[in-house]
Amino acid sequence: MAAQIETRSLRVRPYAITGGRTRARYQLLVETMISVPRYDPEFSATLLPESHALYEHARRPVSLAELSALLNIPLGVIRVLVSDLAGDERIFVHPTGHSYRYDNTILERILDGLNKLSA
Amino acid sequence: MRKVLIVGAGQAGLQLALTLREHSYDVTVMSARTPEEIRNGRVTSTQCMFHTALQYERDYGLNLWEAETPKVEGLGLSIAAPDNSRALDWMGPLDRYAQSVDQRVKMAAWLELLEDKGGKVIYHGVTTSDVDSLTKHYDLVLIAAGKGELVQLFDRDPERSPYTSKQRALAVSYVHGAPRRPEHPDTYAVRFNVQPGVGELFVIPGYTFSGPCEIPFFEAIPGGPLDAFSDQPPAAEHWSRMLGLMREHFPWEYERFQHAEVTDGQATLAGGYTPVVRQPVGNLPSGGAVLGMADVVVANDPITGQGSNNASKCAAFYAQSIRERGDRPFDREWMRETFERYWEDARHVTDWTNAMLQPPPEHVMNLFGAAQTNETIRRRFVNGFDDPSDFKKWFLPPDLAEEYLASVS
Ligand SMILES: Cc1cc2nc3c(=O)[nH]c(=O)nc-3n(C[C@H](O)[C@H](O)[C@H](O)COP(=O)(O)OP(=O)(O)OC[C@H]3O[C@@H](n4cnc5c(N)ncnc54)[C@H](O)[C@@H]3O)c2cc1C
Repeated sequence: MAAQIETRSLRVRPYAITGGRTRARYQLLVETMISVPRYDPEFSATLLPESHALYEHARRPVSLAELSALLNIPLGVIRVLVSDLAGDERIFVHPTGHSYRYDNTILERILDGLNKLSA
Repeated sequence: MRKVLIVGAGQAGLQLALTLREHSYDVTVMSARTPEEIRNGRVTSTQCMFHTALQYERDYGLNLWEAETPKVEGLGLSIAAPDNSRALDWMGPLDRYAQSVDQRVKMAAWLELLEDKGGKVIYHGVTTSDVDSLTKHYDLVLIAAGKGELVQLFDRDPERSPYTSKQRALAVSYVHGAPRRPEHPDTYAVRFNVQPGVGELFVIPGYTFSGPCEIPFFEAIPGGPLDAFSDQPPAAEHWSRMLGLMREHFPWEYERFQHAEVTDGQATLAGGYTPVVRQPVGNLPSGGAVLGMADVVVANDPITGQGSNNASKCAAFYAQSIRERGDRPFDREWMRETFERYWEDARHVTDWTNAMLQPPPEHVMNLFGAAQTNETIRRRFVNGFDDPSDFKKWFLPPDLAEEYLASVS
């Protein structure tokens, strides 16, 4: 068996050894907001039903928790579908935590909501 | 690019994911824990891996700790006599060294490495209903979630599973400050100590966050004196309890450990499980099928230290089958064939491990006894840990054992 398995001499740089990096490429927490940066109806039509519904809903910023509830899809599945679309840059994952406060889309959304309230 | 989803970020799942990434598969791993949580969590194993399994890691550059990890060059057996002296006491050399890297160190870094290599990682405790909805989005879904609840997707195979209850209660501590065994001060060796009727004490030289360590590991016969950790005591107390029991039942090991201390507050483990072999294909309500890996489908007692070795071999066999499949569908038939190919190797581990859980039969005691003065027997036994398929040729069947003994005496 050992001989059959093709070996690659691609050595991994050992920086991962020391650890300490906490960065995950996407922080997909329940409260994480996502949105579609450039909506593409043709692309949307090619998606499987769950991804299609998700993509359509994310034309406006929406949290993973909301999506899971709205679409009645388990959170784990939402996370996977979002990760896939985000990997292809079809969906933008809004940074969570510290930078959240400075996220313009969120600010606009909050302002939008406030405007509606006062109208 | 074929899309593969792997649930579970242990030896099997991550090794397969990293292997498939090197061959440009679109790989997603779902992990219940983040790297930080793994690093700050409890130890999970003693994870001693022998040459064949280590080589599969090396083939893909995953042996990131090889230089600083103790090289285990032998395996020793000591069996207590009724007066607590040693009835047998020998060490055999491994042709090629073994190593044990704390799974917390390894899995946390492998997860980060996978992301750096373009794999997708999703942190989520996966449920069966998640799996049900996910299968249609992937060409192949593998369940590599160890002994967690997702095993419910796979039926127990009674023909391959002789036991219906746990055979040993397990207790582990990672410690610093213990020298090597005084008989062989220059050699790192795994020590296999047997107290008949009570259980076994393994000692494995390993590597953890704070450097090289020793990992004493009780395999307690349930209800016996070593089965004393079900209250899950805090680390320091767990270790001092192990030390007390070591002094009483394995006094020849106690000496070198009396001043040792646990490596960290999460460096102890207590538990146990029933050895089991499961059907490899899980069928989901939505009509999808998933393939089980490593501990999910073949979980042996750790008495022979083979689970991580099996996980590595399983990942290597499955990667091979996945690549050979090309663009054809990963259907149920392919899944069963893929598992059977792995089982052809793994069944020898299961047979040998299940046998080692029983009191040693006469022919085994004869072999162990003769090994005291016969290096050829010692060497063959010890190297069987790297290739357990050898045991059926000379060790397990009584008639072959007698023939072998006659041929080497
Ligand atoms: C005390 C002890 C000592 C051992 N000593 C040795 C030894 O010396 N040598 C040896 O070779 N083997 C040893 N083993 C066995 C070895 O540790 C295991 O067989 C091996 O780790 C199995 O690898 P795996 O990838 O199948 O599963 P695991 O290593 O268990 O990994 C499974 C992963 O899946 C994750 N997971 C579980 N459920 C979910 C879920 N629902 N959603 C998402 N993720 C999930 C878990 O968090 C875990 O990270 C020992 C085991 C024990 C208990």
